[in-house]
Parts: sequence; structure tokens; C-alpha cells
Amino acid sequence: MEKFLNKILGKPVLVLITILLISIAFFFVMKQNSRMETDLDKYMPQEHPAFIYSNQAEKWFNIKDGIIIAIENENGIYNPGTLKKIKDLTKKLQKMKEIEKNDVTSLYTADNIVGTDDGLDVKAFYKRVPKSKEKLDELRQKVRSNEMVFGRLVSEDETVSVIIARINNDVFSQDFYNRIIEVSKEFEVPEKIHVAGRPIVEGTMALLGPADMKRMVPIVILVIIIVLYLVMRSIKSTFFTLLVVLFSTIWAFGLMAALGIPIYAVSTMIPVMLIAIGVADGIHLYSHLFHFMKENPDADKKTAVKNMLHEMWKPVVMTSVTTAVGFISLLTSEVYPIKYFGIFTAFGVMAAMMFSLVLIPAGILSFGLPRPKKKIKEEDETDSDNSPHFAYKFADSVIKHKNMIYVATVLISAISIYGITKVWINSSFLEKFEKDSEIVLTDKFINEHFGGTSTLNVILEGINEGEFKTPDVLRTVAQMQDEVVGELPVVGNSFSLADYLKRMNKVMHADSAKYETIPDSRDLIAQYLLLYEMSGDPENLWQVVTEDYKKANITFQLKSDNSKALNSAIDIIEKYRPEFKKAGIELNYAGSGYKALVFTDLILEGQIKSLIMSLFIIIILLSLMFKKLSIGLIGSVPIIVTALIGFGIMGLLNIPLSTTTALISSIAIGIGIDYAVHFIERYKIYANQTNDKTKTTHYTMKHTGRAIIFNAIIVIAGFLVLLFSVFPPNRTLGAMVSLNMFTSFLGTITIMLIILYNANIYFKNKKGEQK
Amino acid sequence: MKRLSLLALLLLLTAITIPAQNNLTGLQIMEKVYNRPTGNDMEANLTMILISSSGNERVREIKQYIKDFGDVEKKIMFFIKPADVRNTSFMNWSYDDPNKDDDQWIYLPALKKVKRISSDSKGDYFMGSDFTYDDLGDRKPNEDTHKILREEKLNGEDCYVIESIPKDEDYMYSKTVTWIVKDKWIGLKKEFYDEDGEYLKTLNIKDYKNIKGYWIITGTEMDNVQKNHKTIMKLSNVKIDIGIPANKFTERMMKRGLK
Repeated sequence: MEKFLNKILGKPVLVLITILLISIAFFFVMKQNSRMETDLDKYMPQEHPAFIYSNQAEKWFNIKDGIIIAIENENGIYNPGTLKKIKDLTKKLQKMKEIEKNDVTSLYTADNIVGTDDGLDVKAFYKRVPKSKEKLDELRQKVRSNEMVFGRLVSEDETVSVIIARINNDVFSQDFYNRIIEVSKEFEVPEKIHVAGRPIVEGTMALLGPADMKRMVPIVILVIIIVLYLVMRSIKSTFFTLLVVLFSTIWAFGLMAALGIPIYAVSTMIPVMLIAIGVADGIHLYSHLFHFMKENPDADKKTAVKNMLHEMWKPVVMTSVTTAVGFISLLTSEVYPIKYFGIFTAFGVMAAMMFSLVLIPAGILSFGLPRPKKKIKEEDETDSDNSPHFAYKFADSVIKHKNMIYVATVLISAISIYGITKVWINSSFLEKFEKDSEIVLTDKFINEHFGGTSTLNVILEGINEGEFKTPDVLRTVAQMQDEVVGELPVVGNSFSLADYLKRMNKVMHADSAKYETIPDSRDLIAQYLLLYEMSGDPENLWQVVTEDYKKANITFQLKSDNSKALNSAIDIIEKYRPEFKKAGIELNYAGSGYKALVFTDLILEGQIKSLIMSLFIIIILLSLMFKKLSIGLIGSVPIIVTALIGFGIMGLLNIPLSTTTALISSIAIGIGIDYAVHFIERYKIYANQTNDKTKTTHYTMKHTGRAIIFNAIIVIAGFLVLLFSVFPPNRTLGAMVSLNMFTSFLGTITIMLIILYNANIYFKNKKGEQK
Repeated sequence: MKRLSLLALLLLLTAITIPAQNNLTGLQIMEKVYNRPTGNDMEANLTMILISSSGNERVREIKQYIKDFGDVEKKIMFFIKPADVRNTSFMNWSYDDPNKDDDQWIYLPALKKVKRISSDSKGDYFMGSDFTYDDLGDRKPNEDTHKILREEKLNGEDCYVIESIPKDEDYMYSKTVTWIVKDKWIGLKKEFYDEDGEYLKTLNIKDYKNIKGYWIITGTEMDNVQKNHKTIMKLSNVKIDIGIPANKFTERMMKRGLK
């Protein structure tokens, strides 16, 4: 390896140009072929039983997510102007190519089935916009007496009416969203228009997160440049360290684009990881170089580079390989975007390793040695000459207070474990947005006036045809609906075949509220349904039951899409499972809200699996690299502590686990291990050189401790920038990465040092004390 | 050059022959179809098979009586199958007066009540099938503008191909194209285009019989390509001009059902 490096570094300029050309090629591939994936369904493992089932059920009942457009008029909607707007906007939406005509529901499209003394009236609420006061009052009365519309399409205070446009999962795009907003806004004043619904939330999230990243990453890099420069005091070394990060990112994304893999929301974390990891190699290399130059001020650049590579290639390779393996363990995840994230981050890490070992030396050879500003050097010099170096003092104090540190570590770990028990997973998309953002406020507004913007579908499957014409079965369904809606304030509404039958029964008894019940006779149910098919729109019916009446779909409308809300509804629904089971009816769930719930569980499960797996792999790798199992165990201490604290704080601060926060544990491992490896490697070298424990500790702390703290400061400073992000998950990411960096750094130079010190490894004289 | 003159000659010939042979306009052809005599009354068994996109079949058997009273056509239908809707009956009075809506009644045996249905949507699908009431022959020719597109053979029959565009822009179809058998005035095939001008469905006549000198369509199939849904309708035991009494079409008879 070292030979190979020295050989290719014989022609440093050529190496630089080659890497530059490949990077440019990757850059163009990336520019041309990169594609954002905004369809969240694509994120989910399609072969998972829950998804297979849900997708199937979505086909049976044509379940789609709806865009909700609310038209608000503070003076009430029953005036010709507002009613005309409802009609015109409905028609406009029906004409959009992304929306099927039958998938638009509004007061204008809805059928009103009304019972009269001698018959049955199936009419639209209005076709021509009513103008006279009598006609308007008549319409108001019609809506009020139709429980399938009142509170669903028109709010109970009669100031808001919604138009629901159901769309397929794959049609959402920035352009479509813009057009929806544009079309809707045309209808404003004096009315207010609010646009909400899951497709909008999902779409905006899929676009906003990465867009925010795109805006923030350059600032992060800028801050890192500044801090790098402040630490290294050299433009050249800052430049080449950054080049490593930049090129590895371009290579990772370029390869992704070349393989035709789209950019998922989690992929935007790749540069984040590579910044954090790539910077480290550069810092350690240059740090060693400066160290060497200070001790050998007369050495020429070739000697300096040779020494740097000789002493540092091993830890650089070791840290990179362990980190990459940590990411590759994400392959155990069932979620494809996470698998890709793992693979390409691992690739990027290996690329960063190569660039660090090639670009940095080639840069030094081509452009000369970096000459850090004198100031820092002089300080160092005076420090080490007169009084003991700060690093020495620090190391001594750590060793001195080892018992206290042990106690502190145990205590912090215990608190963290307690925190971990409180960690909860949140599949909510809405809660990823700012509390006062337009999207959250609109959602809140619609939830205040209607049943809810989120849905949960319960799918019932009977054995026999016509199962859902049975009065008892339908009564159980109705009872379940009533209990869920009655018990949980978060569930605003529900909808099923039972509602149609109750309505038909009422209508056929001259609209008498007394008959708003499930009929007792199966034949009557069948006849009502036939009548509905003949007079209403049968397409509506097939959204709640299949044509053979073997399967039924119950839709619950929720005012929140968070996991707690969904689970609270599921808990009540599950109570009915045995009762349905008795009738031979299977109960399952479907819909995007449920899929998101399952999906989040999968992510968490995958994260925990890969976390444990990578921990084991890293212990084994470290043991092999250092040829000692004990080193593997010691090296893993900082990452275990980091992971514990990371998750513990999330639990204590009520930060739910989500797609982004769960991935942070990978950073903890990826970076934590770097610190440990560099530290142990250096410790080993000094141990062999001095065979003196105190000196070894001192020197290691001065050499590697310094590099580690620089590394931590730089990355923490960079990631703290994300705290100013407009997208809350990115803020959490920034805070958590910074925290993880800090704890791994601290863990390495305190608790790991103590264990290493006490373990007496690498000293021939077991005590390692030379008096 | 030769070919061109031949084409010119052909064009000239057709230009002369069509109006000469029959001066029929598109509208006249459609009126002939609309007014084709089908007898004064009819009794028949109607089998309706609804096939969903997933291939699920639902079969409905209906006994129907139709009688033409001049300015009004009365129709009464009794469900035979499925069993749970047996004897559910449906009566429809359709008036020649274009300003007068149909009168409709439904009788549900489990409820033992006749109810009048008033519906304002003529575009409604007939009993959840792919046919609308209009498709079943209710639409009057003067509601559309007709144009003869061409003449061609279909299933061995000489046909006019007529394009009909509704005068009302808000109508559920933007265009229909019908193949009409010359001299029999039967629409053999009809293509429907939805409001956005997109191909929606095709009606195919599978079977027609001459009964007592009238051409009666006894087998049709409607294929909705947009919904991937299909409806097959078959008439059997067709009896024409048997003198169905006028009092067959009353609420009392609806309640009585099939014995």
C-alpha cells in the first residue's frame, strides 16, 4: 500500500489531473441524470406483506390520497359568489390532466338522496348557481339534513366548503403543486382558499427537505472552510481537505446517477456524512505533517510526505474501512433508500480515503508544503518549553480523576438508557414542518372545521359473497366506527357501507331520523343497495365495498398523522378483531398513513439491527487490525457511549425517531470509530517508542488528541449551521450530529483513554511505569 | 397522372351517386334508427352481466314489459335474480315531450312500499351498468348534430358511419360514432368519446333478430375502456305485440310482482 502510494505520487501533477478529470466526468453525469424521487411510495419496500396488502386494497377500493381545497367565506358560503366559485373550481380541477374527473368531490358534484313523503329524490345539490334567497335557503336546508355531506363537505358553521381531488401517488410534482396553488388562488377574495392534504404534505416535504439541504450545505461548507483555516492556518491544507470532501461527494452522487438511482430524501444526508468523515482524514494527515515539520524543521517536502504516509496510511485506511463497513451494515435494512444511502456513503468514504492518501500528498508535492502562520507555532513552542503542554495536563487530570469519570460515564449511560425507553417513533410527515408554517396552519384550519386531513383505512374481508349485506356484520362495523369516533377526539369522522345503508333507510322512511339505523333484513339491505346503484353513483359504493360484497373498506378521518394518533385508533379497532373473526372476517389496514406507520417501524427495526451488527463488525475489525480482541472492545466504548447518549437525549427531549433522526446513529458509529482508531494507533506507536505509559498518554493526547479536537470543532461548527435551517428535521440533524461528534470526542479522550491506560496493553513491562 | 384522374372520377361519381341514390342526411338516418318500428309492446327476459375490472361477474335477471302508448312509453321491470332482490320492481314512463322528465317508481318488497324516484341526471348509468339511459335509446336525434363520415362494411353488412356531436356542450359525451346498417336501420356499433374528447367505451351489437317483421336487438355488449368494465345484455323469450294490457303498468302491479 505504502509502496503503491509512493509510486503513483512520483507523478503528482498527473494524479491531480486524472482525479480532476474523473470528477468532472462524474459531475456531468450527475448534472444530467440526477432525479429527485418525490413519490414516497417508492421509498417503501414493496415486497413487505403490509405494503403488498395495502397496495392491493388500494386497488380494490380505489383508495387514493386527496388534495383538500377549502373555500372559506367568513360570512357563510351560501351566496351566489361562493357557490359559483365552488362550481368553477371543481370544474377546473376536473379538467387537470393529473386528476380524473370522478375523483373530484365537492358540494357541486355530490348527489343528494332525499326522502320525501311519497318517494325518493336523487338530485345534485345544485347545477345552476342559486341566486334568490329562497333557493339559497333551500340549499342550506338540503345540506344540513344530509349527514353524508354536512360536516364533510360543508363545515358545521357553514363558513367553509371543501373540494377533494383524489390523485394517484405518482402524479405529484413541483409543477403540479404550483398549478394547483395557482388555480386555487384565482378564486380568492373575498373568499380565502386553503390547500392541504397528504399529497401536498408529502410532496412539499420531499421537495423542501432537499431544497433546504441544498441551501444549507454551502453555508456549512463555508463555515467549515473558515474553521479549518483557523485551525490549520494554511490555505493550501484547507483547500485540499475540502477538495477531498467535495470530490468524494461528487463521486458518490455521480456513481448514483450513472447507475440510474434517483436521489431520495435520505440521500441528501450523504454529503453531510462525507463532510463529517472526509474532513477527518485531512485533519489527521496535516496534523501529523505539522507535527513532523515542527520536529524536523529542515525536512524537504518529499521526506515530509513520505513520513506522513508511512505513519498515517494505516489509521486512515483503518478508520475508513471501519466507517464504510458501518455504513454497509445498513444493507440489512428493508428500506431501499436506506440501503442506497449505506452503499453510496460507504463508497464515498472509500473515495475520501483514496483522495486523502493521494490528493493531499500530491497537492503537497505539486504546490509545496503548507506553511502555517507562525503565530500558532510559536505558542506551541513556548508552551512545551516552559510549562507542561496543555495536552499533558489534560491527560494527567483524566487519569487522576478516573474514578470520577467511571462514575460519570455509568451515571450518564444509566440516564441515557432511561431516556431510550422513552424514545418513540413518529411517522408523521406534518410534524416535520414548522409549527407556524403555512402547511401546518392550513392543516389545522381544515381539521378544526372538518373530520380530519389524515386517513386510516380498515379493510374487512369475508369468506362468502354478500357477507357485507348481513345486518349483524354491518352493525358491528357501525358500532366500531361509533366507538372510535366517540372515544378519540383525534378521529373526526368515519365512513363505510354502514353509513350508506343508514342513509338509505332514513331516506326511504321519509327522512325520519329514527330510521338512521342498519335495517334488520338482509333482503332490504340488498334492495337498498340495488336502489342506490340504480339511482346514485355506484362508483361511490365501490369505494366502501367490493362488487361481490365480500370485502369492505372503512375510512377513518384523523386530525393528526402522527403515530400516536394512528395507534390509538388501531388499539380500539383491534378490540373488534375477535368479533369479526367469529364471522370469518379478516381485519387488515391500508392507506398511506398506515403504510407510513409500518414504514417507520421498519426503519427503526432496520436501524437497530444494523447498529448492533455494525458494532459487532467493528469490534471484530478492530480486533483484527490491532490483533487484539481487547482493543476491539476498548475501541467500541466511545461509540457505544455516543449511541446511548444520542438516543437517550432524543427520548428525554421528546424528539421522536424518524427517517432522518434514526440515521444519525450511523454517524455516531462512523465518526466515533475514527477518533478511537486514530487514538489507539498513535497510542500504540508511542507505547512502542517510549514504553512509558505517562509519556505515551501525553504524546498521544498532544498528537492525536489535538487532531481529534480540531476535527470535532470543525464538524460541530459546520453542523451547528443547520440550526438555522427552515426545515425542522434538518435542524434536529444538525444538533444531533454536533452532539454525537462531541460525545465521541469526549468519550475517546476520557473514558477510552482510562480503559486503555488501565488495560496496560502495548507495554512490555506490564505496569508500563518507568521510574 | 392516371391514378389522379381515376381518383377524380371516383370523387365525381360519389358526389353524384350519394345524393342521387338516397338524399339522406346524417340526421335523417339517425331519425330512421330512432323511429324504427319495434312493435307496440314487448315482453322479454333481460339478462345483465356486469364484469368488473378484476373480472368479477355479477348476473342480474329481469323480466321486462314495455308498451308504447303513443306520447308515452311505459316500461316495467321485475328482478328475478339475485334472490335477495327478487320482485324488486322498477317502472319508467318516458314521454315524447322533450320538456317532460321521465316518471319513475321503485318497489322494494322488503319494505313493501312503492316510492317515486325523481332524478335530474339523465346521464345516470342504468342499474350500475356501463349503459346510460341515453345509451339505451332514450336520446333524441335532434339533440345532436350528425354528419356522415363514410360508408363501409361491418360484420358483412353495409353501414353508414355517422358522427354525432351534442348541441349541449355540457353533455357527458363530446362525440359518438355509430355504424348503422343500411335498410335495417340498426346501430351495429357505437363508439363514445368523453367530455375531454377521449375514447371512453364501445357498444357492440352481438345479436339481432327479426321478430314478427321487426328488427329487435337481442344481444349487446358495452365495453368501457377507461374503467376496464364491461356489461353484457341479452334478451330472451322475446314476445312482440302480444297485447299487454295497459293496467300492467301501475303501482299495484309493481307490488304484485312475479308469481
